Amino acid sequence: MHSSNRLSTNDWWVCDEPVIPVRGTIIGDQIMLVAGVDVGSTQTKAIILNENAEIMARGIVNTGANVVKAAEKAFNEARKSAKLEEWDVAYTVGTGYGRYKVLFGDTQITEISCHARGANFLFPKTQTILDIGGQDTKGIRINEKGEVVDFCMNDKCAAGTGRFLAAAADVMGISLDELGDVALRSSSALRITNVCTVFVETEIMNHLSKGKKGEDILAGVHQSIAARSVSLIRRVGISPEITFTGGVSLNKGMVHALQEKFGFPINVSDDSQFIGALGAALFALDRASARHDGEPVSSKEEA
Amino acid sequence: MIESKSFEELIEQYRDIIDDVSFPTVKEWKSKHAGGKVVGMFPVYTPLELPHAMGMLPVGLFGAGGRVEIDHADSRIQSFVCSIARSTLELGLRDMTKDFDVLWFPSICDVARNLSGIWSSNFPNQQVSYIHFPQNMTSPAAITHYRTELRRLLSNLEELDGKKATGAAIVSSIQAYNQNRALCEQLYAIKRDTPWLLSTYEAYVLLRLATMTPVEEHTRILQDILPMIATRNRKPRDYVRVMIEGSFCEQPPLELIQVIEEAGCYIVDDDLLMHTRWFHGDVMTNGDPLLALAESYIHQSRYSSVRHYGNKPRKEQFVQKIRAGKVDGVIFNAPKFCEPALLDYVVLKDELEKQGIAYLAFEYEEKMGVFESIRTQVETFVESVLFFS
Repeated sequence: MHSSNRLSTNDWWVCDEPVIPVRGTIIGDQIMLVAGVDVGSTQTKAIILNENAEIMARGIVNTGANVVKAAEKAFNEARKSAKLEEWDVAYTVGTGYGRYKVLFGDTQITEISCHARGANFLFPKTQTILDIGGQDTKGIRINEKGEVVDFCMNDKCAAGTGRFLAAAADVMGISLDELGDVALRSSSALRITNVCTVFVETEIMNHLSKGKKGEDILAGVHQSIAARSVSLIRRVGISPEITFTGGVSLNKGMVHALQEKFGFPINVSDDSQFIGALGAALFALDRASARHDGEPVSSKEEA
Repeated sequence: MIESKSFEELIEQYRDIIDDVSFPTVKEWKSKHAGGKVVGMFPVYTPLELPHAMGMLPVGLFGAGGRVEIDHADSRIQSFVCSIARSTLELGLRDMTKDFDVLWFPSICDVARNLSGIWSSNFPNQQVSYIHFPQNMTSPAAITHYRTELRRLLSNLEELDGKKATGAAIVSSIQAYNQNRALCEQLYAIKRDTPWLLSTYEAYVLLRLATMTPVEEHTRILQDILPMIATRNRKPRDYVRVMIEGSFCEQPPLELIQVIEEAGCYIVDDDLLMHTRWFHGDVMTNGDPLLALAESYIHQSRYSSVRHYGNKPRKEQFVQKIRAGKVDGVIFNAPKFCEPALLDYVVLKDELEKQGIAYLAFEYEEKMGVFESIRTQVETFVESVLFFS
C-alpha cells in the first residue's frame, strides 16, 4: 500500500522542460512595476515597487484558510490603492510559507532570502535580522550586500513566536495591538517560566488568580520571548546592527524587551511587517531588469 | 515481471516492499527455505558474506521508519536516544522480528551496544552477537583481531545451524557481494556524473531493497534496471550539487530526501545505506577468505563517522569526498540524538568554514510528517548558492 503522504516520483522529477512564465508589461525602455507578495501564516502582505525601487503601494490581509485567495487579495489591495491594473505589474515574486500559492506570481523565493534583501535595503548596515512571525522565528546573518550568510529557525514549537503573544493576549482578554503598550506600563515584570505556548496560559491564569498586575505579567511574557529570541539568534551570531522584522516587530513592548536584552538599540521600520514582501519585490525588480536587458534569468525558475 | 514495467513503476513497487515493516521478503524466503535461518543486521556495516556462506539470509534492521507507534520500547530504553534504536526494539517487542534467528549489532555507538544487551535480555530465543570492530587501524594486531572476531561470528552461526561453512563457500559469497557492490557503486557513479538520470530517492529505494533481498536476486534486479536508467529521457536542470552527511545509521524519512531534491538539489553523494558499498573495490578471493575480509575492513573501507582512520583526521577524507563529488555544498542531515554524526558535525563544519564550502544542517527523526520548515531551509540554501556564490 502507498502511504498517504508519499510524494509521487513523477510529479516533479519527470518534468523535462523548464517553464518560464512571461507576463506583465514592459513598455519601451521602462520597466513598469514589480511586486512582492509575502504569504505568512497569519497575514499576507504585498508591496509594489517602481523601477527606482520606490514603494508605490502596500496591501495586507489576514491569511485565513484560503491561502491562494489571500495572496490575490493582498496583491489586489495594493494594486487598487495605487490605481493600477494587473498587467501593469511586470514581475511578481512570491515568498513566505505560502509562496507556492501565489499562483499569479512568476517565481518564488524563500522568506529568509527576502527578509535579508528587504532589511539590507531599509537598513544597509544590518548584519543580523530577527524575524518574529505568527508561527515561527528566524535568525538571519547577512553580509554587506544583503546576502544570507547563515540562518536558523525555531524548531517544531511555537514558543517565542507571535502565537505565544496571541495566547497571552487571549487569556488576558486584550487585543494583540494593545499588548505591547500594556506591557510597557509595568514597573516590575514577573518571571514567566513556561516556554510552552499552551502551558503559558495556565501560568498567566495562576498569576491573575493571585492578584498580580496584568502589565507585570505581560512584561514577563515579552521578556520570555525576548530571551528565547536572543538564544535563537545566538546560533547565527549577534552582530549589530540588528534589524527586527515580521509582524511582532510592530509590538513596542517587544522592541523594548529585545533592546533591554541586547543592550543596544535595534532597527525597526514602519514597514517592518512588509520587509519580506519588499525583499521579494526587490528580487522581482532584478528579474524584470534582467529580462528587459535580455540577460538570462539564472535562478530556480529555470530549474 | 521486470521487463513489463517502466523504471518508475518498478521503483514504486520496490517502495511498497521497503515500506512494509512486516518484512515480506523474509517471510517469502523462509517459505522457500524450510529451516533456513535469517540474520538481522543493525547498521552501519556487518560482514554479510558470513551468513550468506552459511546459506542464511542477512537482512538489514533499520527500525520502523515511523510506521509503528513506540508503545512498548520506552519502558526498556530511554526516550532520548535515536529513533532507530527505539523502533527496532519496538518491532521486537511487538513480535514483528520473530522470523529472525540471529541479531548482529556492530560496535558503532553506546546505544547500539546497549541495544545488543537489551535484546539479549528480552529475546533469549534469538542469538545475539555484538561485533567488536578494531578501533586502532594502525596497530599490526588490527587485522588479526578482526579475523578472530569474524571467526567467532561464524562459529556462532555454525553452532546454531549445526554445520560448518567451507572456505569455498565463503569465497563464493565474497564474489557474490563483490559483484553486487560494484553494481551499487554504478548507481552512485550515475548520481555523481549524470544526476538528472537518477534521483537519490530512486537510488535509495534500489539500495534499500538490497538490505532485504537475497544478494543474487538483487544483483539480477540491478543488472536489469541499470540499462533502463541510462536510456531515461531526462535533461540537466539548474540545480545545486550537494552531498548529504550524517545519515549513515538511522535512515531519514524518504519524503525528506524528496523535499531536498525538490528544493533544487542534486544529491551527488551521501552516506545512506553505507554497507551496500562499504569497500572500495573488491575483497580478495584468493587465500584465506576471513583474512581477506579483515584486510579489506582495515584497508578498503569507505569514509564513515563510525570508523577510525588511524592518525588521519576525518576532516581530510571528508574534504576529499567533497572534492571528488564536485559538490557546491554539504547538507548535514543527522538523526536526533546520534552522537557519532553530531560530534563529527562540529569538526566537519569548522573545516567547511575554513575551506569556504557552503553547508546547511538540520536533524530528523523517524516520525516526521511535516517537512515545510526543512523545505524553506533547503530552498534558502539553494538560493544562496545559486544567486550569491
